[in-house]
Amino acid sequence: MTALTLALLVPWAAGLALVVLDGRRRAVAWTSVAALAATLAVLAVLAADVLRGGAVEYVTGGWPAGVGIVLRADALGVTFALLSASVVLVAAAGEAVVAVRERTFPGLLVLLAAGLNGLFLTGDVFNFYVFFEMAMIAAYVLTAYGAQRAQLRAAVIFASVNLLGSFVFLLAVAGTYRVTGTLAMSDVAVRIAEVPASAAVAVAVGFFVAFSVKLGLFPFHYWLPTVYADTRPAVAAVLSGAVANIGAYGLLRFGAGIFTDQLRFSATVLIVLGAASIVYGGVLAVARRRPAEMLAYSAIGQVGYVLVAVGVGGPVGLAAAVLYSVVNALNKTLLFLTTAVRGPLVAGTFVVGALSVAGVPPAVGFVGKLAVFRTAVDARSPTLVALLVLGSALSLLYLFLIYQREFWAEDDDEVSAAGDDARGEHTRSMSLRAIIVALALVLLVGGIWPEPLAALSAAAADSLAAEANGAAR
Amino acid sequence: MTLAIAAVAAVLFGTGSYLLLQRSLVRVVAGIALISQCAIVTIIGSSLSEGRAAIDPEQGGPLSDPLPQALALTALVIGMGTLALLLALVHRVVVAHGTAERDELRDVDRPAVSEPEGAGRRAGDETE
Repeated sequence: MTALTLALLVPWAAGLALVVLDGRRRAVAWTSVAALAATLAVLAVLAADVLRGGAVEYVTGGWPAGVGIVLRADALGVTFALLSASVVLVAAAGEAVVAVRERTFPGLLVLLAAGLNGLFLTGDVFNFYVFFEMAMIAAYVLTAYGAQRAQLRAAVIFASVNLLGSFVFLLAVAGTYRVTGTLAMSDVAVRIAEVPASAAVAVAVGFFVAFSVKLGLFPFHYWLPTVYADTRPAVAAVLSGAVANIGAYGLLRFGAGIFTDQLRFSATVLIVLGAASIVYGGVLAVARRRPAEMLAYSAIGQVGYVLVAVGVGGPVGLAAAVLYSVVNALNKTLLFLTTAVRGPLVAGTFVVGALSVAGVPPAVGFVGKLAVFRTAVDARSPTLVALLVLGSALSLLYLFLIYQREFWAEDDDEVSAAGDDARGEHTRSMSLRAIIVALALVLLVGGIWPEPLAALSAAAADSLAAEANGAAR
Repeated sequence: MTLAIAAVAAVLFGTGSYLLLQRSLVRVVAGIALISQCAIVTIIGSSLSEGRAAIDPEQGGPLSDPLPQALALTALVIGMGTLALLLALVHRVVVAHGTAERDELRDVDRPAVSEPEGAGRRAGDETE
């Protein structure tokens, strides 16, 4: 319980204090890194508690349950919270070792972590919305980081599209309250079974649209390439590695945890959309020239795998969805960070990231791909398996196209002059490279020793199944 | 009453969507503001009950549901905050790009990005 409240209070208090300080000063930037590290440590303690003794609950303000807002940490929530906090920490450290360009950047990263922790660790639908907006507001401002024209344009696009998504979410929350008369997730899951099918589906579709916009799934992806490609690498890493987790977590929590019947009802639609995402993202990524843009389309393709796994469902499918979300977030963080630096060492880490995205053994992506393939085989659909293979082949193709253009080019300056680089200068900072190499090593170790990750995602899927079963009883 | 609220929400969402599709960024912001109001009206409509405020209940009398009111207040505050942020962003865009038209943002493109801001602004003016 203490760990649960601390996981929210530490980044919140630290973030508020850091936002008013000048983040361009080294000390402030490193304080924010320390605050994020402390958050991560608290989350690790909380995760150990949850994995050992089951979900941790805390009702705010000492109210009886049902009146007070419930904070609830289960395996799924802590998995995503740990993942997002690590990604934000890596991005903050990466920016701190080079030079922070704007005064609010470190503080906003910490506040983003606070918002993300809050939404992953809440048991209340409306409270989810509040933390969600808190995280998103930080993300809107972070998108404009750098304040060049491209970034400002990206921020306006990102903010307007995602605000629309947020309000669709709010409409769905209102609908939930209307049809179930409660906002606590566990009660909603119970009462939704008695709601007329049409009303329940309408609410579920609202949630699905809201999270798909966050995630950048195929028909809702239009904002994503511009935003990911035009923001600075550290921000793109945070957006794809931490903020996009909101979408994946939301699909799992609301889809598989609360609207189980509606999810089963629409499984085919989800699988078709997921497959469309995979192919669309892959094909367009091959067709692009700038690395950041290719990675952005790759992100659209990769989330398709998560949606397919959610659509197939069952313990195997949900575990695969969690596993793949984790793997994908780490891959994208690594790859977006490598677009900022050059050198032989970075080329090596890029290859690790590329192999991981494509699902080639030594990297952790293999474990994720394997889980999704197993899901597809379980679903007894040869078409689906073929599409997944096609997606993997495409990802290998576009990633090595990037590799060839970016790292085999004899002279980096020539490449930049050719207009490949829109983000200004590449840094040659040694310490930034060290961070990237460390992240690549994590991906490799995760691939060689995947048991902890597999156990974590299985526990997360179990916690979802328990929630759904609790509702059925 | 529920019908009236639903109609108001529908009109707000419709006009909001229409504005969202306009070329001017200021209108886009206005559209988002209207859609946020639509969400708040929907929240209020999600539990309409006549009665006294929950803070001063009458013994055995009807009570109005306080929860949607609390939600609406929270959502209003968040909505206002995001709106202010969005307007500030649009202002920054107008300063940097020299235009508030969405399509013209697309025209001023990549090579200018690494240039100093002043040079970029001049290029933006030329496209007008």
